[in-house]
Amino acid sequence: MTIAKVLVANRGEIAVRIIRACREAGIGAVAIFSEADRDALHVQMADEAYPIGPSPATESYLAAEKIVGVAKAAGADAVHPGYGFLAENAAFAEACAEAGLTFIGPPPAAIRAMGDKTAARRIARELGVPLVPGTLEPVAGDEATRAAARKIGYPVMVKAVLGGGGKGMRLVRREEELAGALRLARGEAQSAFGDASIYLERALAEPRHIEVQVLADGQGCVVHLGERECSIQRRHQKLVEESPSPFVDAALRERLGEAACRIAQAAAYVNAGTVEFLVDAEGNFYFLEMNTRLQVEHPVTELVTGIDLVREQLRIAGGEPLGYGQPDVRGRGVAIECRINAEDPFAGWLPSPGTIRGLRVPSGPWVRDDSGVYEGYTVSRFYDTLLAKLIVWGTDRAAAIDRMARGLAEYKVVGVRTTIPMLERIMAHPDFRAGRLSTGFLDRVMPDLGAGQGRHASIALIAAVLAQYERLGRGTLAAPPPSPWRQAARPGWRGRPE
Amino acid sequence: MKFVATAGDRAQTVEISGGRGQYRVTIGEQVWEVDARPTPQGIYSLLIGGVSYVADVTEREDVAIVEVGGEIYAVKVEEATRYVIRTRGGPVAGPGPQTLVAPLPGRITHVAVKTGDRVRAGDMLLVIEAMKMENEFKASAAGTVSEVRVQAGQPVNAGDVLLVIA
Repeated sequence: MTIAKVLVANRGEIAVRIIRACREAGIGAVAIFSEADRDALHVQMADEAYPIGPSPATESYLAAEKIVGVAKAAGADAVHPGYGFLAENAAFAEACAEAGLTFIGPPPAAIRAMGDKTAARRIARELGVPLVPGTLEPVAGDEATRAAARKIGYPVMVKAVLGGGGKGMRLVRREEELAGALRLARGEAQSAFGDASIYLERALAEPRHIEVQVLADGQGCVVHLGERECSIQRRHQKLVEESPSPFVDAALRERLGEAACRIAQAAAYVNAGTVEFLVDAEGNFYFLEMNTRLQVEHPVTELVTGIDLVREQLRIAGGEPLGYGQPDVRGRGVAIECRINAEDPFAGWLPSPGTIRGLRVPSGPWVRDDSGVYEGYTVSRFYDTLLAKLIVWGTDRAAAIDRMARGLAEYKVVGVRTTIPMLERIMAHPDFRAGRLSTGFLDRVMPDLGAGQGRHASIALIAAVLAQYERLGRGTLAAPPPSPWRQAARPGWRGRPE
Repeated sequence: MKFVATAGDRAQTVEISGGRGQYRVTIGEQVWEVDARPTPQGIYSLLIGGVSYVADVTEREDVAIVEVGGEIYAVKVEEATRYVIRTRGGPVAGPGPQTLVAPLPGRITHVAVKTGDRVRAGDMLLVIEAMKMENEFKASAAGTVSEVRVQAGQPVNAGDVLLVIA
C-alpha cells in the first residue's frame, strides 16, 4: 500500500511540519482549514486545501466525519492526524480505515488501550513497570473523589482520563482546593477531549518528566530513540525540552528504553509513540502514560538521532519495515527545543491573540524554526497558543544552551506577547545550565526570572516620547523604508513542481 | 519640545529635539543621542549610543504601550504644559473601585461571585476560556461586588468590563 497523497488533519506548525515531510517524500499533501484559518501558513504550503467548517474546533478540526469525507473527495489515500485534535481518537482511526484510508498512527486498539489513562496504568502494572501511586479507575462524584484523594495522600494530581497536552490537569495541595480543581479539570477535559472523566495520582515532589520515543513497524520490530527531558513546564504544559536528559546515564537509558518498548509491545503498538515517565532524584522511574502520536517535541530526537520521525511514520504506515534495530540507533550531541507561545509570561501566561506585525526568525548553524505563522498573520483565539518551536543542536549541552540563547535573542515577534523573554531567562539560569531540573523548576524560579523587568525603562520612555513627537509632526521622519525584516519573514510562495 | 512621560507612578520630564531620524533626548540629567528608523509596521529600530533596540509602540486609549527587549511598558506621554494643567489640583484621587476588564477575547465559563458578595484579595472571581485554556481571575484587593455584567457561557471581547468591586 503505497501512500501517494496524505490529508493532514491538523493546523499550525505541526501541519506545516507534516507537509514538509510529505514533499520530501514525493507525497502529495492536502490541508484542511476552518473559517478562522483561511490565511494560515499550512493552507499556503499544501498542494491542496479545503474548508472544513466554522472556527470552533468541535465544528472543524474535530469533525471526524467531515474530514474523512474531504479526504475521500480529494483522493487522499492516508490521513496524518498530527498531535491534539483527533490524533488519539480511536473512533477516528477506525472511521479512516472503514473509508479505505490509511491512518498514519497506531491501530485503533492500541490508541484505545493507551488513550484511557487508567487502562494504560493497568497494563503497566501487569508488566511490572512501576507506576505513580493513584487510582487505577476513573473517580466519579465529589465524595468518592475526596475519599480516594485522602487514601492516596495530598498533594494529588487531578488528571483527565482521556487527557494529554497538560489539559484537564490540576495540582491539589489540600482538600479545600479539591472541589474547585475538579470543576476546572472536568471543564477543560470536556472541552478538550469531549469527556469529563478524571482520575487521581499522587503528586511526586520535584520529579523530572522524562519520556522515551519509540518506533514500531508492522512486523513486530520495536526500537527506542532515547529519551527527552521535558521538566520545564508551566500549567503542566511543556515549555522547554531536550535530548538526551542531563540526568540519564547509559544504564538508566537502557532501563527506561526497555520498559517503554515492553509497554509498546504489550499494546501491540505500531508507528511512532512516546512513553512518559516521572523520575525522582534517586533515579526511580514511574510510568505516567503513553502518547499514541507524534509529540510536539519530536524534533529534539530527530536532531540527536538523525532520524526523521515524520518520514518514518509515513514509511511505517505504508507497510515498510523499520530496516534497523536498537544497536543502529545512536545519539550524538544535545538538542534543545523552546516553545514560542502567544502568551504573556509576566501576566500569568495569559494567552495573547492578535496580529503579528513584525517577525524576524533566527537561523544560522544548527538552528531550526518549526513555525506555523508569518509576518502579518493574525493569531486566532480559537486554537492553542503555540506559534513556533525553536530547536537547536550542539556538540554538548553547554553549546546547545548557548546556541539557544543566541537564537532566542535573534527571534523578534511584534504585535503579540510571547514566551521568548522568559525562555531567554531560563537559558541563562544557573540551575538550568547545571541541569538541576524538575517539573517544579519554573514555579520555583519564576519570582527571580520576572525580576529582570525594568532593564529597558529609559529606552521605553524614549520610544514613547519619540512616537508622540513624530505624531505631532515635529520630527518629520522620511517615509518608511521597506522593512528590513521582510526577507526572513515571508513563507515560501511556491510554484507547482512541474 | 518638552513632554512629561508617566510610567507606573513615576512622572519624568523628557525633552526631545531634532528630526529626520536623528534626535537628542534629555531625561533628567541624562542626554541620549538617538538614531531612529520606523518600519511600515510602526516598529522602531533604535540606535542609542551604538546599541541596537527594536521597539514597538502602540497607542491604547491615551497610553503608549511600548515593547522593547521582551519587556512591556505602559507610558502616558503628555505635552508638559498639559500635564501641568491636568495635575494642578495635586495628585488625582486614590484607589477607586476595582474594575475587572477582559484582557483577551474568550468565553466566560464560570462566575464565582454575585452582586453584594464580600471578597478578599486572591478570591476567585471568574474564569475565561481562551485558546483552549481556562484562565482564573482573582480579586486584587478586598471589597464588595457592586456589579456583575457577565454570565457563564457568554463570549467577551478584550476590554469588556466584566465586574466591579467597590
